[in-house]
Amino acid sequence: MRQTPLHGEHLALGGKVVDFHGWALPVQFEGILQEHAHTRTQAALFDCSHMGEFTVCGADAIERYEKLLITDVKTVKVGRGKYGAFLNDDGGIIDDVITMRLAEDDLYIVTNAGALDEVSASITHNNPGARDISDETAKIDIQGPMARDILIQAGVTDAAKLKYYEAMRSSWKGTPIVLSRTGYTGELGFELFMPNEIAVDMWRDLLGRTPVKPAGLGARDTLRTEIGMGLSGQDFDTSRTPLEARMGPFIAWNKEFRGKAALARKRDTGGFPVLTGIRTFDRRSPRHAFEVKHNGAVVGVVSSGTFGPSMGYGIGLAYVPQNLAAPGTKLTAGPKDLDIETVELPFYKDGTCRR
Amino acid sequence: MHPDSCRYTKEHEWVCSESGDVYTVGITAYAAEQLGDVTYVEVPQPGKKAKQGDAVGSVESVKAASDVYAPVGGMVYEVNEALEAMPELVNQDPFGEGWFFKLENVKTSEFNALMDVKAYEAYLATLEH
Repeated sequence: MRQTPLHGEHLALGGKVVDFHGWALPVQFEGILQEHAHTRTQAALFDCSHMGEFTVCGADAIERYEKLLITDVKTVKVGRGKYGAFLNDDGGIIDDVITMRLAEDDLYIVTNAGALDEVSASITHNNPGARDISDETAKIDIQGPMARDILIQAGVTDAAKLKYYEAMRSSWKGTPIVLSRTGYTGELGFELFMPNEIAVDMWRDLLGRTPVKPAGLGARDTLRTEIGMGLSGQDFDTSRTPLEARMGPFIAWNKEFRGKAALARKRDTGGFPVLTGIRTFDRRSPRHAFEVKHNGAVVGVVSSGTFGPSMGYGIGLAYVPQNLAAPGTKLTAGPKDLDIETVELPFYKDGTCRR
Repeated sequence: MHPDSCRYTKEHEWVCSESGDVYTVGITAYAAEQLGDVTYVEVPQPGKKAKQGDAVGSVESVKAASDVYAPVGGMVYEVNEALEAMPELVNQDPFGEGWFFKLENVKTSEFNALMDVKAYEAYLATLEH
């Protein structure tokens, strides 16, 4: 397994390390429920150094990059980020991505670990202005209502300037970093991108500030599920298109992009299932790959499922036919036919991310 | 850490002989640790008759779900109703307050054939890697 620059820190803190797409990463420290609650109410640190980062510089390079993406990049203002996805020729989702414009001719791109080789090959192919900086870049997320105060205390005063989904080049103790007000938890939070060399110092500095605690992949998963955010490789992959995966509003139909022709055919044919929020009525949880039934007939599949710690019941995401996706539809899931109901996303509505 | 008067299964249940004919069942600290924070416990109905190895309940954590098997055959005599509201007792006190259910009409031969504490700890050692 590959190790992030923070691997030794995780072991020293008692992190329970698991294999996540070939990376050794902590699934939990004290416990998922505690880490979840701490992120919702205080501030937690997540090591996301396994994720992919790219720079794309220059007008030509940006134009080439934009052809890979379902979203428009031209309309992204300097200092803003935008969610999107890369497709294959069949319209299937290779990965989702955040593209940030740090200056007029300077894009900073964040992708996941699961499909990184393929994503890297397609971003850098025939594009000398595009560079894969994943190997040299560490990423620490600080998430929770206290995140901004903590960063300011730690000398990252630029944190005070950023609104939700804004990003900028900044620095910490003289070292250039990239700072974005983004996250995967629904809470006020930031993602910090830095050279590997300063990751341990940054981690220790932030963790030394009350009330910051470390959190693992387990809490990351419960937090993102509660706000209805999909996980690449689990909730969608090349077998699903953005139409199915709730990315419809992000598709820029007025420009060319890889996979567009197949996607347009799918749109016109219709009849595809859609990713929908589901809940149980007790503490039992739906689980990934559970079959979803309607009146006893299999109609769909659960892509993510967990106990929702802030909700107090089981929650998940499932692909169901469009005519069964309206909130309040009664369905069952899994071998024990758990009673479930479709619900509007997000489950958790009190997040502080825009505060 | 493991009570030495009890017996253990490869599925990480423990079963302890109480007074008289009653045997108490739960999951081991190892199982609780592997599951992480327990969020739901399903216990059988009192009066249910189970054969050794029958799935009689289930336990769910944030990350996973697994069945709970009767480590020995018998009739369910009492269940731990506290777990419905406080499933975290399984993590906090797996050999005490986190017990699942009690069985009676148990064959002592089935009990005696299960792993004792030494055998279980040796088995756990084979699972470390």
